[in-house]
Amino acid sequence: MQSLFVHLKPDNLIIMACKQIQLISLTLLLSQIIIGCDSNDNSSKYPDYALVEKLGDTATAENASNSGHGFSTPIPTLTDDELAQHLTGDVHFETAFTTAPNTEHPELDGLGPVFNNQDCNSCHQRDGRSSTLTIPSTQDRILLGSSAGIFLRMSIEDGLCEYPDADNEYCNNVGVEGFGTQLFHRGVLKARDDWNAQAPDTANPFIGQANVYLSYESSTYTYPDGSSVELKKPLFDIEIPYDVESDDQTSSAIMQDNVRFSPRNGMPVFGLGLLELIAEEDILALEDEDDTNSDGISGRANWVFDPIKARDGDDTPISLGRFGWKASTPSVRVQSLGALRGDMGITNPLFPDESIANTSMHESYLTRTNNEDTGTDIYGDTEASQSFSDDVVFYAETLAVPARRDIDDEDVLAGSILFEQSQCTACHTPSFTTQTGELSIGGKDAPEALKGQKIYPFTDMLLHNMGDELADNRRDFMADGFEWKTRPLWGIGLTKTVNPAAGFLHDGRANTVEEAILWHGGEAAISRTLFANLTSVQRSQLVSFVMSL
Amino acid sequence: MFKKSCLSILVSVTLLSACGSDNDDDNTSFDFDATPMITNLTEDVIVAGYVDLNTKAEAFVAAITTLSTDKTEANLAAAQQAWKNVRQPWEQGESHIFGPVDSLGIDPHLDSWPLNTSDLEDLLSSQSSFTADGVRNSNDDVQGFHTMEFLLFGDGVEDNTKAITEMTDLEIEYLASAAEVFEGYTQDLEDAWLVASDANNASSEAYKDYLLETDNEVYSSQVGVVEELINGLIGIVDEVGNGKIAEPFGSDIDNTDTSLVESQYSWNSLADFTNNIIGVQNVYRGEFEDAADAQGIIDFVSATDSELATRIDDEISAAIANIKAIAGTDDLPFRQAIGDADARVRIQTAIDSLTLLQASLENDVLLLLNEWNVQ
Repeated sequence: MQSLFVHLKPDNLIIMACKQIQLISLTLLLSQIIIGCDSNDNSSKYPDYALVEKLGDTATAENASNSGHGFSTPIPTLTDDELAQHLTGDVHFETAFTTAPNTEHPELDGLGPVFNNQDCNSCHQRDGRSSTLTIPSTQDRILLGSSAGIFLRMSIEDGLCEYPDADNEYCNNVGVEGFGTQLFHRGVLKARDDWNAQAPDTANPFIGQANVYLSYESSTYTYPDGSSVELKKPLFDIEIPYDVESDDQTSSAIMQDNVRFSPRNGMPVFGLGLLELIAEEDILALEDEDDTNSDGISGRANWVFDPIKARDGDDTPISLGRFGWKASTPSVRVQSLGALRGDMGITNPLFPDESIANTSMHESYLTRTNNEDTGTDIYGDTEASQSFSDDVVFYAETLAVPARRDIDDEDVLAGSILFEQSQCTACHTPSFTTQTGELSIGGKDAPEALKGQKIYPFTDMLLHNMGDELADNRRDFMADGFEWKTRPLWGIGLTKTVNPAAGFLHDGRANTVEEAILWHGGEAAISRTLFANLTSVQRSQLVSFVMSL
Repeated sequence: MFKKSCLSILVSVTLLSACGSDNDDDNTSFDFDATPMITNLTEDVIVAGYVDLNTKAEAFVAAITTLSTDKTEANLAAAQQAWKNVRQPWEQGESHIFGPVDSLGIDPHLDSWPLNTSDLEDLLSSQSSFTADGVRNSNDDVQGFHTMEFLLFGDGVEDNTKAITEMTDLEIEYLASAAEVFEGYTQDLEDAWLVASDANNASSEAYKDYLLETDNEVYSSQVGVVEELINGLIGIVDEVGNGKIAEPFGSDIDNTDTSLVESQYSWNSLADFTNNIIGVQNVYRGEFEDAADAQGIIDFVSATDSELATRIDDEISAAIANIKAIAGTDDLPFRQAIGDADARVRIQTAIDSLTLLQASLENDVLLLLNEWNVQ
């Protein structure tokens, strides 16, 4: 298989960046003069997004956009019935599942038997990003446990996948034998047959498929003006995999050279229904795979397997990828219910099989526990019901987008210009208008509240090469090991308000927006260079604009 | 070519732009200097509450240590009382459940529900000893308040008393390990607010400073802090009225669910609910019960509508009184009250008062943020 993506050469990137710096210097000087004016009639001076307060149009949050509740309010224009469903889904989002069997509450049982967390909220704290874990000075690393909102995806290296079809299994990743495509580092009691072993074996009766340890590698970024920023990059060690003895760990299926891992942090869950209702053609119109406009940016779509289309008998179960760090899921429904089954081990009507079904681990667990946690009950029903699934998906589809703050602030306004001049908008596309008419979302009728909205998500929904430093070197459907989907920036300024320990980027490595910018490489290296060459005041202004979103 | 066109555009823009002044004032706007209120609520309500929590957690650990070394009925009773004592500031603190309690995962570590009794009993029947490290690495549903409550009080079905003879040495060992882990988290919480929000980074801000000195990465202005506090009040009133009370209460007497009752093992439920709303009162009034007057949300409301300020205060007091009244003259615990016809009338009254309070906070207090001329 061959990539359709054209990787830009570093030399070209540098030349383009230098040209941009020359161009930008005059405009920055002049724009600073303009920004000195106190006028509020600023509409003609700034990019059209600069003075937009309601980033979600009428789907913008009310009376919550300055505080930690900013990601957690329902779209205000939902009908009464829709609001009731949203609130039910809200409860489900925080529902912690327990070990099967739970005789008092069978609707809550079925956790795992191996998993990454027990409820949605633990990885999407207050509907936002999860906490980036820090390491005590007395330790070199920490074990991922209940506080971790991050996990590792994994698969066997098998080259690139050009376009999904039946012959190539629709570009689905190939899982690791006995493990699958996601490493579940936690378990219920007795998940492993050696659950009661002592050190140096498991020594933790709640161990999952393996222990995962987190440490950091530090580096320093130095700006042209001599100032510097300390950066950290997460590293992961895997130990005591379940499929081998502790003195033979290198023989494990996940310890082989052809296994690729990709860390994935929890991400915000508001505004997702709006993103799903952006017209496909509007996103595809932004594709520029061969960089025909020579701006150094060549976004492309990730076409992915769509389990809903497959369920409904579609001959071509392929859709545009929209969600996840690599745009590898087509809808909020597939993303959410995939996480329910994967991250928590809760089977549901869309994904009725346990995440570790047909592995030796599951078979051993079932044998030892009298066939508890098979994924279905005696009536053939999955652990999460259809209504539970529908409600929790609807919740994630209908969380409002927080409004902006400080839009009249002079630094924010100046930053809005710098944001455009630094070519951030080349990928962080400011605006779309969602579709109208008879529409479905995840196979269900779409709420009217999501339709016809002029939204400002600041994403093109496409994949871009982000360079070596961010690369996970793991394919995900059509996305290669360097590509990531452009993250929406709406609400990003509330990240620390919602969760002060949250980090940015796919593995939470960036503690600030500034650090996140400095990790931009590949196609985005141009923007990083432009940013780095600004004065410290201008850099601060640009960050202020992003923080106002 | 570019320079020429760019320059002409910029010049044109400059000429076209009009400079003027902003004027947000209207008839309903009001002034209020929030600094004294935020300072008081941060220092003397929130942080003071967490210090109290940690102090009582230390006392709880001491009580468990005593029980471990001297296994007597009296020491078990003292440990049970110590559990109820440390429960009080925790439940009151649920009126402001934001910041480190959430970001450090302390809420699920301390207060996960439902308890995984199946795993807990399996652990007790399979292990020969327990350590704090072992409990710390366990899932949240076998540690924290409710695990310790289960071990101290029993299953709560018939009674909330547990004879010392019913308590095994291994249970006490698990309890001691869980208590040590628990106190570590309450210390972390206090330190995050008072010393450094990231315990592993000494130069990180004490969390309280984010509230006291806004225009930072957490709160861009005091509007955010006041909005946080008011939404926090709404959140717990909603949770108590529509969750903690209404869900076990069910639609009628034939559809109750005792398994959903919070603190069902100790029969401390009504104290929990009462403390939740006393927590609301603490933030609203700006002081703990019977303390000297200090600034709270009531002063923010009074700045524009003193009648409303008093009405909200009355509604909070009524909600507290109505929750307390659920027990009735025969002092029914909540677990039993949901199945008693007379008590159900009293429960409905409490729910109604919480519904009224929630509506007032949402419709009357929160919207004042839009009229406030923040300084």
